[in-house]
Amino acid sequence: MKRIHQLTLVDDDEVFVFLAKKAIKQTNLVELVKVFDNGQEILDYLLENQENPEKLPEVMLLDLSMPVMDGWQFLNEFHKLSPKLPKKINIFICSSSISPEEIEMANKMNEVSDFIIKPINKDKMIEVIQKV
Amino acid sequence: MEKIEDFQYILDVSAIVAITDHKGEIKHVNENFCKISKFSAEELIGKDHRVINSGFHEKGFFKNLWSTITKGKVWKGEIKNRAKDGTYYWVDTTIVPFLNEEGIPYKYVAIRYDITERKLGEERLKESLKELSDYKYALDESAIVAITDQKGQITHVNENFCRISKYSKTELIGQDHRLINSGYHPKQFIKDIWGTIATGNVWKGELRNKAKDGTIYWVDTTIVPFLNENRKPYQYLAIRSDITERKRAEEALRISKNKAEENANALEKKNKQLVDFCNIVSHNLRGPLVNISMLVDYLECEDDKDERQEIQDKLKPVINHLMEVFNELVESIQIQQDKDVKIDEIDLGQTVRKVLVGFSIQLTASNADIQIDVKESPHIKFPQRYMESILTNLIGNSLKYRSPKRDPKILVKTSKKGNKTILSVKDNGLGINLDLHKKNMFKIRKTFHKHKDAKGFGLFMTKTQVEAMGGRIWVESQPDVGSTFFVEIKDNAK
Repeated sequence: MKRIHQLTLVDDDEVFVFLAKKAIKQTNLVELVKVFDNGQEILDYLLENQENPEKLPEVMLLDLSMPVMDGWQFLNEFHKLSPKLPKKINIFICSSSISPEEIEMANKMNEVSDFIIKPINKDKMIEVIQKV
Repeated sequence: MEKIEDFQYILDVSAIVAITDHKGEIKHVNENFCKISKFSAEELIGKDHRVINSGFHEKGFFKNLWSTITKGKVWKGEIKNRAKDGTYYWVDTTIVPFLNEEGIPYKYVAIRYDITERKLGEERLKESLKELSDYKYALDESAIVAITDQKGQITHVNENFCRISKYSKTELIGQDHRLINSGYHPKQFIKDIWGTIATGNVWKGELRNKAKDGTIYWVDTTIVPFLNENRKPYQYLAIRSDITERKRAEEALRISKNKAEENANALEKKNKQLVDFCNIVSHNLRGPLVNISMLVDYLECEDDKDERQEIQDKLKPVINHLMEVFNELVESIQIQQDKDVKIDEIDLGQTVRKVLVGFSIQLTASNADIQIDVKESPHIKFPQRYMESILTNLIGNSLKYRSPKRDPKILVKTSKKGNKTILSVKDNGLGINLDLHKKNMFKIRKTFHKHKDAKGFGLFMTKTQVEAMGGRIWVESQPDVGSTFFVEIKDNAK
């Protein structure tokens, strides 16, 4: 099984973060899970560490509905930033949304690897990590 | 004797002269006769006048001529003749019979004058008179015609005018057009018509008139001024055609178009609400439900007692949160549906002060400076409950998102714009980055600052209340300078 070093959760929902961390832990495939509350916080972190590939995650689970900077706004900023990054970050949108428009919009974006509809569990997480 | 020859000479020079015998055989013609008839004297002598008969006159005409002169009487008349080359000429003719001792004519002297020019002129005049009366007939048949003098008094109307206005000729003659004025056109419009025609120009336009029985009719109108030799109008001819049907159709079309537009707008609004609602369901209801289902899943397969307790502890707040969002949604839908909400006469100054009482602790603690300026629109008609809620949300936000760098300054102001009132709440707080948040500004569960009390419900509710009353809400803001929220309120007076 493929293992990854770092996975980043970007979600303001504490309960979901708690449960997602549990599911990720159960896979035993991730060394480190980092959590950010909203788009602005992860963006600040990426900007700060754009010279340090080892500090950047291989996988990001990105919620859409968040305060301050939502998932879409973050993706816009990330689009400008990603060519400068020393490492590929695989972004998976992870949302409770079942809106076909949002799913289609996500599929059109090169930065987005896939759209995961909540809920998630251990098996879904293994699947995600194996795609990377 | 000399005298008679002189007369003969004068006659020959000035007139067309022919002499026939008692049977009508030509015995003598003068030069003028030959010139006009284009026959030579030789060709004429011995013939009778039939050579130059044009065939224009009826048989009775010559019969009458002969019966007059054979009785020895002078005949006078106008004759159309034909020259040798086939052209026609008119002559004013006097035939004098010369009588013998028994009183019987033995010869006739015909003295003629060329009146071709005059006759042609008369004919042309007759033709154009005929044409003119044909035109008049055509006009009277097809159009609604009226003639007024230079003061606007009606001097002539045709049948069609009477038919459409339902007035009789005698009721109309002597009146002016105010009799059929429907009062629809503004004074300036009527003034402009007079300005045009009184200066000798043609006016064209559509007029709405009122018939005797009060019914309304529309006429497409052309008014032509008739000018005297000084180029001043001495009368006006108004030619109208009935366009009532067309106007009616246009009006009906306009109404149905407006209605269709209204319906389309209402539909679009509903559609947008539906999309918003879909998003709310997707993110705000499905989110907590997902959490509950995941928590329950873990609970089912977790054996450790402490772990189970931790999961159970998390369930309650999620359910509470779901309930809260659900109630908020129900509340907003109730506002949208509440068409019969009570509209109050609101004293805005009083209402603002009442709302401020609820914030008195925060106001003192934050050393806030509040100004109220509602003199431009002190009273509005709006549901009191909604207004208090709107002011509470907006003033509350100004205090909640105040800048840590300065004491809060809030200005509550009203201004009048037509029959609308614009209420604004301006602060010097944190401000909002509208480049990022403009589209989410008034959505449910959207927050723009990290704050323990930020729920993302206040502005959503405020917008719902404002829009339910037909108003608008928008914001101007600059990060770290402040925000101003504007609420446009329709005059809801019924």
